[in-house]
Amino acid sequence: MKWNGQDVSLYAQSKEFVDTGIVPLIPYSLSGSEKELTQLANQSELLTLFMKEVEEEYRGRIFLAPSFTYLKETSIDKEIERINEWAERMEAEGFKHLLFFTFDQQWKKAERKLNPSLIWMPIPQVQDIHNEEAKKVLRSQIEQVTELITAYWQE
Amino acid sequence: MSDKKQPVSRRQFLNYTLTGVGGFMAAAMLSPMVRMAVDPVLQPKEGGEFHATGTEVKNITEEPTRVDFSYEQQDAWYVSEVSKTAWVYKNESGDVIAFSPICKHLGCIVKWEGGQGNENQYYCPCHGGLYEKNGENVPGTPPLAPLDQYKVKIQDGMLYLGEVIPNKVV
Ligand code: FES
Repeated sequence: MKWNGQDVSLYAQSKEFVDTGIVPLIPYSLSGSEKELTQLANQSELLTLFMKEVEEEYRGRIFLAPSFTYLKETSIDKEIERINEWAERMEAEGFKHLLFFTFDQQWKKAERKLNPSLIWMPIPQVQDIHNEEAKKVLRSQIEQVTELITAYWQE
Repeated sequence: MSDKKQPVSRRQFLNYTLTGVGGFMAAAMLSPMVRMAVDPVLQPKEGGEFHATGTEVKNITEEPTRVDFSYEQQDAWYVSEVSKTAWVYKNESGDVIAFSPICKHLGCIVKWEGGQGNENQYYCPCHGGLYEKNGENVPGTPPLAPLDQYKVKIQDGMLYLGEVIPNKVV
C-alpha cells in the first residue's frame, strides 16, 4: 500500500497485516554541472520506480511511505534525526520491519546512527531507464530486493 | 485617472476578460466531449480487448508457469505502459487456464510452489495464503476467495490474455 487515499483507507482497515514500511531516501539539488544534476535526477526517478515495483509485489504487507527528500548540501547529521523520527512514528503504529532504501553512499557511513535498517544499493548502470535492457536489469534487482524482504519476514 | 485616458474602462475590461475566460472554459469542457463523439480512437474500448503474451500455446504444460506481458493503456491523462503477470497451465482436457497472481486477501503477488513445502499450491509470502492449482483458496489461510482468471484467447498458436474475471474453474 502507499500514500494515497484509496490505499490508506485499506491500510486503516487492515493495519494488523501491514508490518513492513519502506521509505526511499532521495537527495535533491540544483547546483552542479549538467551531468551531475542529470545523474541525481535519474537516480531519483530510478529509486521511485524501484520502490513502486517492490510495493506492487507485496502490497498487502508493505507500506511505501512518501519519499524522504533532503537537500544534497545539508549535512546528513541533521537528517539522521529526522529519519529516526519517521521510523519512530511508524514503529509506534505497529511496524516491525523498517527499510530505508538509497543510492546515496553518504548514508552508508551514518548507518550506525540510523534506527531503521538501511538498504544501500549500487546505482544500476542503465543509460535510459525506459528501454528494454534497463527493464531487465531493474527486474533482476527488484527480485533480489523482494527476496531480501521475505528474508526479514522469516526472522 | 479620467475615463478619457482609459480607452478600455474597468467594467469593459472585466467584461472582456470574463467572457474570454468563460468562453475558454466552456470550450475546454466541450472539446473532449466532441472528440469522444467524433474520434473513434478515443472511444472507450469494450472489455473484449486481448493482449499478446509472446507465449506459444504448445509450450504451455500442466505445470503453472509465470507469463509476463505488457501493453499500452490510455488513461484519463496519458498513455502508460502496464505490466501484467499470469500463472498459466493446461488442465487435463488441454484447456489453457491463466490466473491473476494477485492474492485475494490484500493483493500481494502469489507464487506457484513458493515458500517451503507448498507442493502443488500457490503461496502468498505476505500472510501465508495458499491456493490449490485450480485457484481455490485453502481454508484456514487468510484469502477468502479463489484466484481470479484472465480471459484466454488463442490465435495462430499464440496465447492472448484479456480482462480479469472471477474464477470459473473452481
Ligand atoms: S495478501 Fe496474500 S495472504 Fe495476505
